[in-house]
Amino acid sequence: MHPRLEKRTVSNQDQQPLLLLVDDSPAIHRLLAFKLRNEDVELISAYDGAEGLESAQRQMPTLVLLDLNMPTMHGLEVLKALKGDEETHNIPVIVLSGSAQSEEKVQAFELGAMDFVTKPFDLPELRARIGSAIRLHRLMLMLGQRAQIDGLTGLWNRTYFDERLESEVNEALRGEDKTVSLAMCDLDHFKKLNDGFGHPAGDAVLESFAKILSSTVRSYDIACRYGGEEFALIFPGTEAHEAAGVCERIRKAIEEHRWTAYPEIRATASFGLASTPLPEVAGPTGWLEAADQALYSAKTNGRNRIHVHDGAGGFGDLPNLKLAG
Amino acid sequence: MSDGPVSEPILSEFSDDPEMMELVELFVSEMPGRIQELERCFEQGIADQLAGVAHQIKGAGAGYGFSQMTDAAATLENAIRGGETDLPSLRNEFDRLIDICNRASAG
Repeated sequence: MHPRLEKRTVSNQDQQPLLLLVDDSPAIHRLLAFKLRNEDVELISAYDGAEGLESAQRQMPTLVLLDLNMPTMHGLEVLKALKGDEETHNIPVIVLSGSAQSEEKVQAFELGAMDFVTKPFDLPELRARIGSAIRLHRLMLMLGQRAQIDGLTGLWNRTYFDERLESEVNEALRGEDKTVSLAMCDLDHFKKLNDGFGHPAGDAVLESFAKILSSTVRSYDIACRYGGEEFALIFPGTEAHEAAGVCERIRKAIEEHRWTAYPEIRATASFGLASTPLPEVAGPTGWLEAADQALYSAKTNGRNRIHVHDGAGGFGDLPNLKLAG
Repeated sequence: MSDGPVSEPILSEFSDDPEMMELVELFVSEMPGRIQELERCFEQGIADQLAGVAHQIKGAGAGYGFSQMTDAAATLENAIRGGETDLPSLRNEFDRLIDICNRASAG
């Protein structure tokens, strides 16, 4: 599973929450561990700022409880470092502090703390605040994910695709033996289908195609709705022939698909594929253009087929691929 | 440091909670170390460190059922943080905290 994708999955958030307590007082650690012993949480301990920071980066806790007044590294410094690190930036932080000065609270909130609890804390209140912070954080993750998901098909949307394509391609361009393949695909004669059978039928085809895409690609591939009847697939670490194999299974599945509500409908799709190495292609935009050109070539050569950008400006059906249609 | 008549022990507010007892006992058993640290800082006139130790006691005391301890520690810490670094002038606040720390009992 691709690490970045794994972090985003909702099921991952269903695991037992991991709480990191950063406080220099062992008495506080013991007390909290005891008070939370019946809660469905796992508690990990750090006794100074540096250890807390290191532990947060290594273990990616669900929530950090952070004491402010600690020797060597002050809690506000730890908070700043957590929020400044791309990896730990999203972990919610509840600040625990012995002083209730509003100046310190304001500073903590400005640095990105989610909540503030004054010590000595009332444990039922702290438990409630922990629960609420975890819930709020889950909702925020879900909203963030929603904003990247296409409403009709449930696939990743264009926003997410652009973001991922850029990072995958840049990674592939940097790395020595990194490979990546990109496929653009388009349902053939979709406008005719919409005009002939109506938009609900068109939507049914889009939804079926999306289901085929998500059930055919591997867990680490990225299937997106690019817009309208156009879809995009990113295959990290995958050579052209392998990616073309996946595309071929998709092509075949949609060609054979039938709709009980619309028995006369037949749908097919065309694919344009661009893979590493493509030396003359510069950056994500160039890659997208290469895949688009291959798609155009597939369209003008009879549709219902997969064309591959060969890196020299030409296109071809893949040699080992039996193409129907 | 605190002399005078032996005073009544201060029982933890959780002394009737058998589940908390072990924790409170551990906390109380650590009090001599904390008292020693407070006295060392006071005698050597290290106001900053004294405030630090008081701060820790303030944070933990009430959690273990000793809210008077938290109050006394807060008074001392706040006085120092408020700018009073001439420790002998905080004798009363200091003695009060030491006294409570000495009397803290698990029950």
